[in-house]
Amino acid sequence: MRKLKFQYRMQLSFSKPVNRHHFTLRCFPKDSERQQIENQEVKIEPSYDGGDKTDSFGNLCKYGVVEKEHSEFVVNVTGTVCVNGSQFQPVYEKHKVGMFRYHTALTKKGPTIENIYNKCKDKDLSTENFPYIPGISDADNIKNIENNEGSIEVIRRAYYFMNVVHDCLEYAPGITQVNTTAEEAATLGSGVCQDYSHIMLSLLRMEHIPCRYVAGMMMGEGASHAWVEVCDGEKWVAFDPTNNCMVDDSYICISNGRDAKDCTINQGYFYGLPEQVQEIHVLVENVEDEYTNI
Amino acid sequence: MAILSIEHSDRLFWLGRYCERVYTTIKEFAIRFDSMIELKDEDYNEYCIEQDIPNIYTSKEDFIKRYCFDETDTNSIFSNLIRAYDNAVVLREEIGSETLAYVQLAVYAMNKAKTSEAPLVYLQKVVDNIVAFWGMADDDIDSECVRSMLKLGKRVERIDLYARMKMEKAELQREMKRLSKRINRTGIRYSTMKLAHLNYIMEMDEIPTDLVVEEIESLFDVRVNEDVVGL
Amino acid sequence: MKEEELYRYSDTVNELLARYGVKFGIYKNGIFKEQLFPFDMIPRKIGKDEFNYLEKGLKQRVMALNEFIKDIYGDKKIIRDKVVPEEFVYMGSGYLAQCEGVTPPNGIYTHISGIDLVQAKDGEWYILEDNLRIPSGASYPMIARDICRRSSPATFKNNSICDNRNYAKLLRKTMDYVNAGGHTVILSPGRYNAAYFEHSYLAEQTGAHLVTGNEIVVENDNLYFIDYSGRKERVGAVYRRISDEYLDPMNFNPESVIGIPHIYDIYRKGNVALINAPGNGVADDKGIYYFVPKMIKYYLDEEPILNNAPTYLPFYEKDMEYVLEHFDDLVLKDVAEAGGYGVVFGNSMTKDEKEKFIGMLKAEPRRFIAQEVIDFLDIDICDEGKVVPRKADLRAFVLMADEPMVWRSGLTRFSRNPDSFIVNSSQGGGFKDTWVLEE
Repeated sequence: MRKLKFQYRMQLSFSKPVNRHHFTLRCFPKDSERQQIENQEVKIEPSYDGGDKTDSFGNLCKYGVVEKEHSEFVVNVTGTVCVNGSQFQPVYEKHKVGMFRYHTALTKKGPTIENIYNKCKDKDLSTENFPYIPGISDADNIKNIENNEGSIEVIRRAYYFMNVVHDCLEYAPGITQVNTTAEEAATLGSGVCQDYSHIMLSLLRMEHIPCRYVAGMMMGEGASHAWVEVCDGEKWVAFDPTNNCMVDDSYICISNGRDAKDCTINQGYFYGLPEQVQEIHVLVENVEDEYTNI
Repeated sequence: MAILSIEHSDRLFWLGRYCERVYTTIKEFAIRFDSMIELKDEDYNEYCIEQDIPNIYTSKEDFIKRYCFDETDTNSIFSNLIRAYDNAVVLREEIGSETLAYVQLAVYAMNKAKTSEAPLVYLQKVVDNIVAFWGMADDDIDSECVRSMLKLGKRVERIDLYARMKMEKAELQREMKRLSKRINRTGIRYSTMKLAHLNYIMEMDEIPTDLVVEEIESLFDVRVNEDVVGL
Repeated sequence: MKEEELYRYSDTVNELLARYGVKFGIYKNGIFKEQLFPFDMIPRKIGKDEFNYLEKGLKQRVMALNEFIKDIYGDKKIIRDKVVPEEFVYMGSGYLAQCEGVTPPNGIYTHISGIDLVQAKDGEWYILEDNLRIPSGASYPMIARDICRRSSPATFKNNSICDNRNYAKLLRKTMDYVNAGGHTVILSPGRYNAAYFEHSYLAEQTGAHLVTGNEIVVENDNLYFIDYSGRKERVGAVYRRISDEYLDPMNFNPESVIGIPHIYDIYRKGNVALINAPGNGVADDKGIYYFVPKMIKYYLDEEPILNNAPTYLPFYEKDMEYVLEHFDDLVLKDVAEAGGYGVVFGNSMTKDEKEKFIGMLKAEPRRFIAQEVIDFLDIDICDEGKVVPRKADLRAFVLMADEPMVWRSGLTRFSRNPDSFIVNSSQGGGFKDTWVLEE
């Protein structure tokens, strides 16, 4: 278990003032089996009229409207989170994960992804040909794929797809946008965490493996992060295709959904035609570090 | 309880204005048309100046055809009737199907007048339907607020038109009285200063009609710090 | 009196229909035009016993559909029990993930359903389609009946016909039953919508307020109508005639300019009723249609009273075999299309077209359903003074308050083209009144 301190800051700057600015924010980590939130503080400016909701994927949201004119919209979320060592989210109602088995507009395959898939679909994943997967139990690791008891086959498959995705994309910010599809990113050959995740989801869904997009934060300073969770029948197992590793206790989950669209951090609707710039700044540190620094 | 949105109150007001505009301009046109039949050919030039509309017409015949019936001429009577219809059609629930029907019938009559050799006969049908519209509105609309909003449009438009046409002082004064009575029944915001000013200039020996037009057109432009009536 | 004699009143009736602007809008080459909806004087007549049978079947069907929608966005038992394969739910265009876990007021999703039926030559009725999103059409027989009554009072004195004046009352009851407190409004995309006449007529008849998106706003987690004087009046029920995707730019299509931001958020909290419930499209998908009889058995433990037209799902191997074998006898429908589009008859295809189509079918079997061509019972219409037989269907309206209610009338639509089965008004069809007889 690890205790993390986080700061999430999102600033929207408009070149000209806007008014009647409606928003929905989805940037609030929530309690789950893998993480418990302590003393979270949220500051939103300017003041607004609105409320809280939990969306259909269980993500926490704040929504509302800023009526008066403003040129800046700032959200600041700070708090501490205890992240468990075990990274698995149990699945209680297996028949409800079905919706995560199907493509969305963002994960739909095209010729490039089909090609990637065809090259790797027949890979032999039996134990002797497969590396030890860190972060899952030894028992799971040595279970033979042939006896096909479910979980390990899916985990190996996902692990392998993660390696493939990591190799087919070059990390390069600024080339893709929020609405870039998996196929477009794969064709470009470069992208950011969202694109890595979408391509991995696309490959998994070609095999009808239920999998979901996770938006969150990881240790360090910079932008927000995204990764993939795969349901092996009993639990959601998390993979980070951008860093080609299993998700451990240095990650904080914010939201999940079928793709990045379901996890939109800030959706806005306002009157006025300005240029807008969104800046996101994330800082995640060990709480213990803070003490040693003093 | 009747509730009325800003948009619909606005539309009621403009429905009243356009119906009145069609009604009064047809009446005025009929007088001109009559004299144009065999007397003065160029009478329409004067009419355009009075109505403050661009004289884009090339001849008497052209004027009759386009000013009455050309839907693409934004100043034509038909254009104004279509504007009335566009407002009426979204007000079915406020004014009722029966009242709305007369605007619809006026449009049909206008279409007939357009193809007729004796346009005055069919234009009379347009007028008949507009008169029936007002009668039905009076009789059938329960909400006083809705009725008043419609009539306010009519009163404002009439003063505006009469001033432009430089009608007799007594006529203008009569219309001004009717407006003053009506305006407070609607609950609409207006400038009391401008209303007082209008009442004042109506008493002048020679009514400055240009000023009347200016003031009546801006009667509802209420600035925040001004004395306003209504809520 | 013989029915044909009704045609004597055609001119009077058409004049009155024009007077009241009984129109629907269409876009031709990008230009909006209003057209009168062609009306045929001879009504479709349905006997009392026959309609009672239809009524029972329709109520049963709509109850099951309502349960299905509730289940899909909730427990998903029907998926767990493998009665409906999950791909038909999640891959259908009508499924909206945003509706997961949201329960509407009183658990009602299908407030107003328009169920399309056809009668075969042997007298048997078949369900053709369930319309659960924003079915339109009730206003036309409402006003047509009113006008016919005025034009020929004797007809209605001498025939015992169920009064259909109560549609407004049924609709009002339906809206009031789920109202979360406050006014009732009908939300229209505006007058350039094909069904604008209906929106405004229903508002007038039910006493609801007709509004467009910019007249109502969400504040303090409630919906308000803003009066012209600035006064705010709470709205408790919205009979919305705009589709799910345009309803709320903050929850559905962010490009929508006709919706109301956050209306779905407060609906989620139970502070306003939306009629019909968003997400209903999951149950009126052409692919899901196949499963409705199974739903009736599953949820109600009853035998379906009304039959589907015999339907095959190429998704199932056995059905695919049948479809390929009997291709020429079947009509094929693209599940994603509506309004009479995406419908092709096997026997009308050329050899090349057929090959191409079968290729598509094999590549995407879930995308199509195949149906036996029903031998429709033709009904008479008057075409340029001559009485001729034409294809027709019946849209029955089922409204749901504390219990389902079937309107004892309906919209009978007919094809004006002798060779066509397509009755949609957008494709030039006309309509008739539907008389349910008292005996």
